[in-house]
Amino acid sequence: MIELRKISKHYPVGFGRNEILKDVDLTIQEGEFVSIMGPSGSGKSTLLHIMGLLEEPSGGEYLFQGERVDRMNEKKRTQLHRGAIGFVFQAYHLIDELTVYENIETPLLYKNVSSSERKSRVADVLDRFNMVAKKDLFPSQLSGGQQQLVGIARAIVAEPRVILADEPTGNLHSDQAKVIMELFRTLNEQDKITIVQVTHSDLNATYGNRIIQIRDGHIQG
Amino acid sequence: MWKNYWLMAVRNLLKRKLYTTINITGLAAGIACFILLALYLENEWTYDKWHTNISELYRLRMDYGEKGEPVTHTALTPSALSAAIKDFPEVKQVVRVYGVNATVKYGEKVMNEDKFVYADAPFFQMFSFPLLSGNAAAVLNGPGMVVLSRRTAEKYFGQEDPVGKTITINGRTSLQVTGVAENPPSNTHLKFDFIASYSTLQYKDRWGSANYYTYVRLNKADMAGSLHSRLSSMAMAQLPEEARNSGLTYDFTPEPVSGLHLDSIAQDQPEESGDKRYNYIFSLVAVMLLIIACVNFMNLATARAAERGREVGVRKTLGAERGQLFWQFIAESALITFIAVVLGMLLAALLLPAFNNLADKQLQFGGIAGYRIYLLLAAAFFITSFLTGTYPALFLSGFRPVQVLKGKVNGPKGDNLRRSLVVFQFAASAFFIICTLAVGRQLHYIQHKKLGQERDHLLVLEGWKEDVNKLQAFKNKLMQQAGIVNVTASPNSPMSIEGGYTLGNIEGKQPTYEMSVTALPVEKDYIKTMGINLMSGEDLTDADIQDVLKADSLKVYHFFLNETAVRLLGWTPETATGKRLQMNGRVGSVKGVMKDFHFASMKSKIKPLVIFPEYDWFNQVIVKTSGNNDREMIAGIEKVWNEYLPQTPFSFRFMDQDFNRLYKTEYRVAAILNTFSIVVMLVSCLGLLGLAALTTQQRTKEIGIRKVMGASVASVVMLLSRDFIKLVVIALILAAPLSWYIISHWLEGFAYHTTLNAGVFLGAAVLAVSVALVTVSLQTVKAALTNPVISLKSE
Repeated sequence: MIELRKISKHYPVGFGRNEILKDVDLTIQEGEFVSIMGPSGSGKSTLLHIMGLLEEPSGGEYLFQGERVDRMNEKKRTQLHRGAIGFVFQAYHLIDELTVYENIETPLLYKNVSSSERKSRVADVLDRFNMVAKKDLFPSQLSGGQQQLVGIARAIVAEPRVILADEPTGNLHSDQAKVIMELFRTLNEQDKITIVQVTHSDLNATYGNRIIQIRDGHIQG
Repeated sequence: MWKNYWLMAVRNLLKRKLYTTINITGLAAGIACFILLALYLENEWTYDKWHTNISELYRLRMDYGEKGEPVTHTALTPSALSAAIKDFPEVKQVVRVYGVNATVKYGEKVMNEDKFVYADAPFFQMFSFPLLSGNAAAVLNGPGMVVLSRRTAEKYFGQEDPVGKTITINGRTSLQVTGVAENPPSNTHLKFDFIASYSTLQYKDRWGSANYYTYVRLNKADMAGSLHSRLSSMAMAQLPEEARNSGLTYDFTPEPVSGLHLDSIAQDQPEESGDKRYNYIFSLVAVMLLIIACVNFMNLATARAAERGREVGVRKTLGAERGQLFWQFIAESALITFIAVVLGMLLAALLLPAFNNLADKQLQFGGIAGYRIYLLLAAAFFITSFLTGTYPALFLSGFRPVQVLKGKVNGPKGDNLRRSLVVFQFAASAFFIICTLAVGRQLHYIQHKKLGQERDHLLVLEGWKEDVNKLQAFKNKLMQQAGIVNVTASPNSPMSIEGGYTLGNIEGKQPTYEMSVTALPVEKDYIKTMGINLMSGEDLTDADIQDVLKADSLKVYHFFLNETAVRLLGWTPETATGKRLQMNGRVGSVKGVMKDFHFASMKSKIKPLVIFPEYDWFNQVIVKTSGNNDREMIAGIEKVWNEYLPQTPFSFRFMDQDFNRLYKTEYRVAAILNTFSIVVMLVSCLGLLGLAALTTQQRTKEIGIRKVMGASVASVVMLLSRDFIKLVVIALILAAPLSWYIISHWLEGFAYHTTLNAGVFLGAAVLAVSVALVTVSLQTVKAALTNPVISLKSE
């Protein structure tokens, strides 16, 4: 599903450059639940961003569902965001001015889903996450764990093939984190959604079926 | 999708109240001022252009001057001109218009009317003033006929039908009302309340005096050129042989009626003309105000990029295309603009009466060209939405999600643009402030410059129509009242003496030598009452007056010349007295020399002036009072007036008003400029306030850390304000040369003017910096006082 070949990434710093990723080869099969781990600054977030097409690699090839995407134009990239990839962020990144319902609905708006179908899909997701009662609240009225639930609901409502999660429980205490991780496991096992998460927590990593260690821009082992 | 955009827009506005208020207030103020100025300019540019036959309508201007002297252009022409040209092949119709002041009586109602004109029969055929009753071809078609404006008809007749009724003019002439015309619109130079048939006057056509406006309708619009050449040869033929040989110029020039208000170079217009230059300035002000308000919007929107950028990033990861985000931001600015336009319209409607007062106009929404203002508004709305929306929309929608999500938003580029825009705003503000101050300084100079004659504590009683013999008795009676120092009379205002005369047969000069002068016939005590200083000679005595009351052939005149006239004649004040001369057939000698004083606008140099006693007719009585108990004294004067002139309503004005009327345009422009400079400044400050609020907010953490490290409140305020003040100072430096150039140019229009000094610029600088400082302090002081524990926690 995701195939990285000799991916590298560097930023210019002064006259030199700061190497973030060096010759990363990585293949993730459909239906996997992968945890990327490593110390701060090791390049794990950058790797995730490249997988999510938020950043372009400086070199190497990236195949998404067998298609070269490292040189895709903005339009095609947007198509992938709409259809195939869902994001979950550490800081949730809900839109403050929109209610829970409207936040979840937004990806469907950009996908030009009809009004009636939007309604039923958002209703399904709300129901599934037990959030029907909270649908008219604004993010600031929710706890962190609830906000992250909305974040995940928003990520899956467009039925993506893969969810990329950047430390999804980083801002949550352990009870809430457990709920979120259980949810990921369910999504992976029942809905067959591929999940790639970046995490610091060994415990969270155990929810996945593969752990990738990254250090100084290299994948270990 | 659009529902979602609007929803976001509304919630964003409600959430950020300060930001919304600043944007909407600034834009609404800008739009309101824009509407008012647009109405004003619309009125100015459409002056008289609405007449159906406008391309064929011309007014004849008289041009005359002696050899080597500048040519005088006047709109007033001799009454004989009309008959002389009516058979010219180019001419279809000719109409003379003669304006007077009249006392009108109907039943018990007696009023003084100053918009009373006599006009030839085709007036309503030539011009397109709509008649509410009466036939355009017939209403003035014979002596003793009058057409009233609608408001006048209502004033005198109420609900009655005025047609067929008779009104009395000056207690003598009876006129029958033959029609009612719609009130003349505010964009015509011919604003009448009464139009009486010219034949009523039964005047003989004469070439000797020029008191009539001559309007011509051409057979074809392109015949003005050939009419002019025909007029020129006719004018030359009118001149006597020797005058022609002496190099005298004499000509009549057709001026298009469509350009009379703004382009005519003629003096003696029936109404104060407009000034194109001021119209350009006001156009500039209108556009600037709108731009400045838009700049606020753009500045604040981009300054909030950090905040909105996160949303852009998130939406992009959710599959938003740049175009969709672009339209979302456009929707937001369109919403703000729409609210601002509605508010601005309400504000403009609310302020219109005050603005009319300021601009001396009767503007209204609607009217002849009413729909245009709505078109303009729609255009303003789209342009403003576009201007304010596009830049932020492009700027914000262009963010790459990963940069935004990592928190890197504000590049230095955005900051520089914002700074430039603030500089631009304040440069514009400073420009207007400098202009306002400089114009104010010149007006102050005019107000306080010694005229050389009195203008305080002088009352002018209008409409004296009785015999001059009765004047003496009236005067004596007035002088018995306490507080009245002097009484005299003249035909028109001492503040603007305009009568054109010619001196000839001057002792010690060639018999053919002539000199044009301005002259005023006066009553005996004029020089004393007006406080005119004599450099040589004596004031008038009763014996001098007797000399001019004799039978025509025996009359001896006594002339007072001003310094300038004496100098031009090559005399000195001492040698001038006693010199014999004639003025338009009046034989006499120089009685005295007057120190130069201003008897006309300070825009022109003091010209040669002659003052002489002549008891033909006086139109106004001038009363000098001691300056105490004015109200009581006026009541006393009114009593005496009613005793002597029971037929004429008592009306008076102060001499000061006459003086100020000379600078009416300048005062009006100054008032408008003042008001709008304040608005420009306020709108700029609103922008600065918003920017300061955002900057302070973004620097909350820095402020907290500095305070923990021991920074004082004052040093934090300084730190935060310094950047803004720097921008204002740059703006001042940019604005100074341009305003200096424009103002110097404007001042050159006055023969007597102040000099521009550093004070004006310094004043503007102090004003701009202190206003900016106060504005910024509203935010910075609050930030500096905040307990660092709170500000650091919030991060």
